[in-house]
Amino acid sequence: MISALDISTSGLIAQRERLTTISQNIANMSSLRDANGRIGPYKAKHVILETDHQLATSSGAAGVKVAEVRENDVEPKRRWQPDHPLAIKDGKWKGYVEYPNVDMTEQFVDALEASRAYESNVGVIEMTKNMTSQTLRILA
Amino acid sequence: MENSIFNANTVPVLEQVVNFAQKRHSILATNIANQRVPGYKGRDLNVDRFHEVLSEAIERKNNPNEPISQGLVHTKEGDPMRDVQDSLNGILFHDESNLDIERQVAELSKNQTMHNTALAIMESQFRLLSVAISERV
Repeated sequence: MISALDISTSGLIAQRERLTTISQNIANMSSLRDANGRIGPYKAKHVILETDHQLATSSGAAGVKVAEVRENDVEPKRRWQPDHPLAIKDGKWKGYVEYPNVDMTEQFVDALEASRAYESNVGVIEMTKNMTSQTLRILA
Repeated sequence: MENSIFNANTVPVLEQVVNFAQKRHSILATNIANQRVPGYKGRDLNVDRFHEVLSEAIERKNNPNEPISQGLVHTKEGDPMRDVQDSLNGILFHDESNLDIERQVAELSKNQTMHNTALAIMESQFRLLSVAISERV
């Protein structure tokens, strides 16, 4: 019974991690330099979830965990801004500025989905609590 | 002595139902937690199989040829709690998972109702017992 709580908690953690990554993507949607000051647009990140067998019970219940956070390979958006201080100096894209490949619509849909998934895990926790308190009523 | 008190009524059967419901709850919670894992297939315990095994065990217990006070209802052989089967959900989504959340939540609340019903009956059994012990009504 307690393992159900652990499992739902692992779901909560995983979904919160997704939301954190999404807010990172949205916050950085105009970042043109990385943390070390190197020029290069921010790359959108995706959280990859996988089943976590560390919490597995004998009957086959298991939790979930964040397997990795992977960068999006989509090409950066390029805008023609020859006067911009970070504009590309030479080559095919001369005069263009590279902007992060963060797609707002995609991020918002993901955020909505993550928060719904979070809510459903909270719902299961409520159910677990209800069942546990019913069981404990036998003692009363 | 206490063996016969607890075996005379439905308490052992209810105990098995509660046990089963709690295990199933963990597994359904697993499905909800893993709902966004690509390729995750929903898991479930076979409720029909559990009911079969349980009713067989009750039949065996009620058989007059069996020795009296055999102990708790045995569901160990062919324990349905070990028969973890894929839940048959039908639709396979693009990420190769097959969880529809509505159905999972419906199963969860059905399971919760079963669990709480069994516990309510068990509680009233215990209340009867305590009335009998205190010889008061």
